[in-house]
Amino acid sequence: MRMILRRLGLYALTAWVAISVNFLLPRLMPGNPIQNLIGRLQGQVTSNEIRAIRLSFGFGVNQGLVAQYFTYVSQLFHGNLGVSITLGASVSSILRASVPWTVGLIGLSTIISFAIGTFAGAMLGWTRGSRFDSFIPTATFFQAVPYFFLATVMLLIFGSDLHWFPVLGAYSQSVTPGWNWAFLSSVVRYGELPVISIVLSSIAGWMLGMRNMMITMIGEDFVLMAVAKGLPRRKVIMHAARNAVLPSIANLSLAIGLVVSGALLVELVFNYPGVGDLLLQAVLNEDYPLIQGIFLVITLTVLAANLIADFVYLALDPRTRTEAAL
Amino acid sequence: MSAERLEAPPLVDERSRSDSLVSPLPARSDFVLDVSNFSVVYGTGEHMVRAVNDISFTLRRSAVLGVAGESGSGKSTLVYAMTRLLRAPGLISGGVVNLNTTRSGDAGEETVNLVTASEKELRKIRWSHVSIVLQSALSALNPVLRVGRDFDEVLKTHRPDMTRAQRRERAAELVSSVGLNEDRLDRFPHELSGGQRQRIMIALALALDPELVIMDEPTTALDVVTQREIMNELQDLRARFDFAMIFITHDLSLLVEIADEIVVMYAGSIVERARANELYEAPRHPYTLGLLNSFPPMHGQRRELTGIPGSPPDLADLPTGCKFHSRCPYAMTRCRDEEPPLTSLGDSERSVACWLHVGGPGVSVPVELSRDATTKDRAHANGERP
Repeated sequence: MRMILRRLGLYALTAWVAISVNFLLPRLMPGNPIQNLIGRLQGQVTSNEIRAIRLSFGFGVNQGLVAQYFTYVSQLFHGNLGVSITLGASVSSILRASVPWTVGLIGLSTIISFAIGTFAGAMLGWTRGSRFDSFIPTATFFQAVPYFFLATVMLLIFGSDLHWFPVLGAYSQSVTPGWNWAFLSSVVRYGELPVISIVLSSIAGWMLGMRNMMITMIGEDFVLMAVAKGLPRRKVIMHAARNAVLPSIANLSLAIGLVVSGALLVELVFNYPGVGDLLLQAVLNEDYPLIQGIFLVITLTVLAANLIADFVYLALDPRTRTEAAL
Repeated sequence: MSAERLEAPPLVDERSRSDSLVSPLPARSDFVLDVSNFSVVYGTGEHMVRAVNDISFTLRRSAVLGVAGESGSGKSTLVYAMTRLLRAPGLISGGVVNLNTTRSGDAGEETVNLVTASEKELRKIRWSHVSIVLQSALSALNPVLRVGRDFDEVLKTHRPDMTRAQRRERAAELVSSVGLNEDRLDRFPHELSGGQRQRIMIALALALDPELVIMDEPTTALDVVTQREIMNELQDLRARFDFAMIFITHDLSLLVEIADEIVVMYAGSIVERARANELYEAPRHPYTLGLLNSFPPMHGQRRELTGIPGSPPDLADLPTGCKFHSRCPYAMTRCRDEEPPLTSLGDSERSVACWLHVGGPGVSVPVELSRDATTKDRAHANGERP
């Protein structure tokens, strides 16, 4: 229990550091981002917009750095991340609109890829040296092909040519967004091809990692003991897999942390309305409040994912509990 | 035993002797394991290595057979192959391993040849008739499971009628029989001491009342005090649970205390077989003598520790003739050319594979290999067991 609290404290500290860095970065940059921006807009900004820009950076009226910092943090806790320069809307409302798409698409793909890859890897490890080993080069091939190319080819063949999957966007133009069946089924339908492409390009890693760990575990005495105990094969495999999966769980936490940010190519190819696409636009337009907001969300997601993974790991591997308590 | 008898012992080929014992199987409940002409190789074709060579022995019910030898002598390979636990590239190349699975209450006699048994048959036999204790209990226990789960799993698999509460009760009974508190069952392996872990392994091995327990160097990884405690507990457990045991170790002085009979292995073959105290007091094979001189004795007179010169032979490149001749201080010309067969000495209980004991012109047995087992020590060694 004490250890869990300590971990939570550590994460809170990390989050605070991340928030502070996020606050300080624009202020440490050479030049003044606000002047850059106004310059880029060639004076075609209203004084209201300038005020919005200043506020979004935490530049209150004649506040010192410390006071600005406290304003910034208190605004954060109220969910106020400032106003986007290019889109005119508040950053938090923009993020609310795009984060669910990314989390849904990439998160789901990552979990599907992890589940199938790990299961297949466990089986491949158990039957090592059999004809099933030929799966591995096939899977590695799809991972080796640049994702951009793979996704484009899939889009062209299965979307544009064969019309097996709808293309472009997250849902059909003919449905109204909301909690209705037509919309939700359309979302699933439009998500299929992106999900398949992501799974295809990332499954080899899970598979190979699990297979190799499985082969290592099979050499362990406790697996030999499981056989000696006359346990059914399924249970013997479980003894090995239960231990082999631990490194994959650690990798999963890293992968989930990257869910929010790692979607740029997918969203570009499939024209999907997610955070990756948003970040690209924000960077191209030097939309600082939006960039800051996205960075903050990414940082907090990575932290949250790591926190969850930490606790899952503690639950799965009792050895980490004592080592951490030392 | 007189010197004359040693120079010209009756020559009986061990193989034909054990064959005659095997064909009509010994009477019911007389033996638990009967191994004949058992061989194991590693790999195939040109790179094939003979790890276990044509080994035969019979283990009586409730008896303890000690298997001694250096690392690489094939002693572990022998038992893993016998129980069909050997992994590729290990391969059984011949022989019969008959396991008597008759329970004391059973009507008929039932034996299974483990070499030809199917996976399904093996699963039924494993743990309920033959269990095994490995050298390192830490690696033999699944690190992410509480040790109670191991008991639960074994009982659940082999005794599907037992309820959860009954299984727990049985597990508690077993751990208390090895002197541990029931609460150890809720611990993870890494939370237990080495001695506790090994006791858990022993308790687990007895979970289904097997006829045979194989101990592969169970005390090697422990300190001498714990080793002593566990050896004593094993004696008590044997009296209580009445199981036969194959005990593998390189420590002959440990073996002599617990084993009824000892076989000494060298390069995959048995080089000497004798009753424990006779082997200990009066070794006949130079290799046995070397092993004995490598360990301080538990009891009796101190002797100088000398060890065996050289290192165990490379199984892929065995010397011709007697495989031990290059390290043997008594090697003769004959030893380099011909391999000595395992031959009975006068008394049929012991046999040795050494040209010294076959005799011939100009061959005399050195005094250290022709000692008599003293009656005092025999009484001591036997006196510990009823």
